[in-house]
Amino acid sequence: MGTTSEDIPLLRLDRVAKEYPNGTVALRGVDLSVRRGSVQGLLGANGAGKSTLIKILAGSHQASSGQIHWRGEPVRITSPKHANALGIATIHQHIPLVPTLSVIENVFLGHDHVWRHDRSMRVQFDALCERVGYWVEADILVSELSIGQRQMVAIFQALGTGADLIVMDEPTASLAAHERELVYQTVRRLSQIENKAILFVSHFLDEIVALTDCVTVLRDGQAVMRADTCDLDEDKIAEAIVGKQIAALEKIGGDQFASSGTAVNRTPLLELRELAVPGKIEPVSLSVRRGEVIGIAGLLGSGRSELLHAIFGADGEATGSVLLEGQPVGRSPGAAVRAGIGLVPEDRMAQGLIPGFSIWRNTTLPALGGISTLGWIPMRERERERGYEAIRRLAIKAPDPDALVTELSGGNAQKVTIAKWLFSGVRLFLLDEPTAGIDIGAKTDILLLVRQLAAEGMSVIIVSSDFDDLLAVANRILVIRDGRCVAERLTHETSEHELLLLAGGKSAPDLPKEAQA
Amino acid sequence: MSDTLSQPHPKAIKGSIMSGTVAVPDAQAAPAKHPTVDWGEVFSLREMGVYYALILLINILSLVTLYLGHPNYLSTANITNVMYQSSLTGIMAVAMTVILISGNFDLSVASVAALAAAVFTGYADLIGFWSAMALALTIAVCVGLLNGAIVEFLGINAFIVTLGTLTAIRGIVLIFTDGHSLSAQSPAVVNAMTAFESGRVNLGYAVLAAGVLALGFGIMKVVRGGLANMTPSTLAALLGGAAALVLSWRTGLKLPVPNPVIYMLLFCGIVWYVLTFTVVGRRLYAVGGNAEAARLSGINVVKYRLMAFVLCSGAAGFAGVLFASRLHSINPAGLQGAELTVIASAILGGTSLYGGAGSVTKAVAGALLLYSLTNGFNILNLGANYQGLIEGIVVIAAAAIYTVGDNRKKKS
Repeated sequence: MGTTSEDIPLLRLDRVAKEYPNGTVALRGVDLSVRRGSVQGLLGANGAGKSTLIKILAGSHQASSGQIHWRGEPVRITSPKHANALGIATIHQHIPLVPTLSVIENVFLGHDHVWRHDRSMRVQFDALCERVGYWVEADILVSELSIGQRQMVAIFQALGTGADLIVMDEPTASLAAHERELVYQTVRRLSQIENKAILFVSHFLDEIVALTDCVTVLRDGQAVMRADTCDLDEDKIAEAIVGKQIAALEKIGGDQFASSGTAVNRTPLLELRELAVPGKIEPVSLSVRRGEVIGIAGLLGSGRSELLHAIFGADGEATGSVLLEGQPVGRSPGAAVRAGIGLVPEDRMAQGLIPGFSIWRNTTLPALGGISTLGWIPMRERERERGYEAIRRLAIKAPDPDALVTELSGGNAQKVTIAKWLFSGVRLFLLDEPTAGIDIGAKTDILLLVRQLAAEGMSVIIVSSDFDDLLAVANRILVIRDGRCVAERLTHETSEHELLLLAGGKSAPDLPKEAQA
Repeated sequence: MSDTLSQPHPKAIKGSIMSGTVAVPDAQAAPAKHPTVDWGEVFSLREMGVYYALILLINILSLVTLYLGHPNYLSTANITNVMYQSSLTGIMAVAMTVILISGNFDLSVASVAALAAAVFTGYADLIGFWSAMALALTIAVCVGLLNGAIVEFLGINAFIVTLGTLTAIRGIVLIFTDGHSLSAQSPAVVNAMTAFESGRVNLGYAVLAAGVLALGFGIMKVVRGGLANMTPSTLAALLGGAAALVLSWRTGLKLPVPNPVIYMLLFCGIVWYVLTFTVVGRRLYAVGGNAEAARLSGINVVKYRLMAFVLCSGAAGFAGVLFASRLHSINPAGLQGAELTVIASAILGGTSLYGGAGSVTKAVAGALLLYSLTNGFNILNLGANYQGLIEGIVVIAAAAIYTVGDNRKKKS
């Protein structure tokens, strides 16, 4: 396997770079080649440039420099339709199917047929099922399928275009174990029997090792490792992903626990007793001290956001109890806010901010009563002062607090979602991916703030898929996988490497010590 | 779970933390106290369009009536007449705006108004004017709770739910009245109805006082802050105050205004105040702007949406009582189709159907615009046949201005 008779790779990227108009450099000259009949793994931490690379291949973004060779010829992929015409099909992470159409209608959605139902479509569909070795009812609506079945329909759709290269962006991220197996079988079948080329993007190291023929690791927009999978193991890949990246956070410094003797109190601030969400999170018990920062390491779909929402009372199905300073907290977001809990949700635009509101209106929303006459009429001047205070304290780049949050960049909008909770005596901060998709400067500011809050005696539970961040700010780190807390590590006893293995591998929770090297 | 608090990752500790705030160069030092006002935006078609349209229409109508030798369009009698005609729609449009801001929709207002009118007329002879009104309003509020509960707890789209109650409640009206008109018989009740609906209050002194207060407030603001820092609200106070003074001078302090207009102005004023200045208003806009973000900020989203439904049906019930008092009777088909005029008024006022944006004063202006059109058609004898066409075009044109203006703003 892994070797083909053809000398020319199906796809070859030659020093492809991408700089966005706002100055962000996402790719700094990446070389990559994908051969027929082989599975090429692509890995990298968040922000390493994976999604930009996929978008360039899918035709939705254009490379700023470098050359793409397709079947040996230089090409410029101008649009998604052009990519399809060339023979590149991309299966995006959030499967874009039309839930109200049937399976067969989705599979042939991009085709120009006159009739909605066509005998030739059915023949082609049966042929596809035969090729892949997976059968699904053609006339069932996509909305009735499980996520795993939808993933298969997306694969059919990609194959239906007659593509030779199939780009799969984290196809197994939200699948259950048996559904993943199905995707693996299909990938093997396509590469070995159909002689297709597959570019397989994943965070799961075990499946990369089991499935791919060669691996490319991206870091900071560059390919830092290219090797045949048979020469690698999960350890080596994890090392390449992590790199010597810790330097970024060393800059921010901060010996925050010098003051820990006074700030860290013995009484637990938060206690979780058998907190669980049926079907999502298995019972968790946890106690968090004042001034303590708990990191939660988990990949997308591991149940990390669900855990935070359960603590915050935002999940009506949660069972078990949450105690703040020994007092049970009512099971609603309103009760949690009154008790002194603040949640910074993962999707800042969809869950964190009111788009039509200015910075100050967003900042004061959870604690309006405190700055209102008779708790009823907000005092606008004081509200705007809070807006200025938020801008100053978090270094938000905005002309004044009257700017709409929709006009801010990602990092600055993120800071507003955090600023919401800084003015109302919040004692427990739940931060869900506060550093995702923001630039290093904003990230540093936010991580510094976390340390500072802890030093002031607040407790923080922080979720991040960038485990480096957790190592920089947390005292303890819980690793979550498939809705279960699989390990707990003291920060100084673990490494990003080990966390990656724990969160991404199917290995046993207690690894041999040499894995931590 | 571990019992000892660990030290953070050794590699990550360098230097020492500073106390206080995140170390940031004080770039935004000494911020301006007042927000800079974009006057172009304040006076844009998007923001002020409905007022421009109203002023334009009134000017056209008064010029045309002058030219044709009809009685003066701008006479107090005619203006108060237009306001009187639009008062029921205006009251419902204010409440409709509130429910639209919350991100919902209510098609059942006209049926609820008819039900309240029927209950009120049917029981007034038996239990007296005020008790009948209380009963009618209670029933209207219950319908609002029902609408809201179905939408919020069963998760059915408000459009569908209220389309259902629109039909079903009209059915209840038919059952209740047995298909016949109901009318009040007892002289005491008829008198009470007349006093409640057709009475007039001389607003001359009130307008004079309001004008003096507003002008004084505006001048004080200008003296304190200077002309350069003038805010839109200061300008509105100055202009409004001056207009009120002119009005009270021109009418010689005699400005008899029908009761329904006063109810509309009061209701609009209270709702405007609550929406603009109170915690409830802020949270309502937040719920409509992004329900999930509002929920995760600790706001009880369901409660606010239920309140909006209750307010909407309650206002419809009050409008129904006014309608019945006006006619001393109710026809089972009365007020049919009025919900569309109400929604059209709210849309003319720039209220978004997607929630989170809207203004009750502009909704009232929208209602006035629609009834000025009707009034103009009558005065000019243009024939009612063209009326629907023109009104429809006006609504679509207004929506187009708002949408296009919004898209431009997003692009810039």
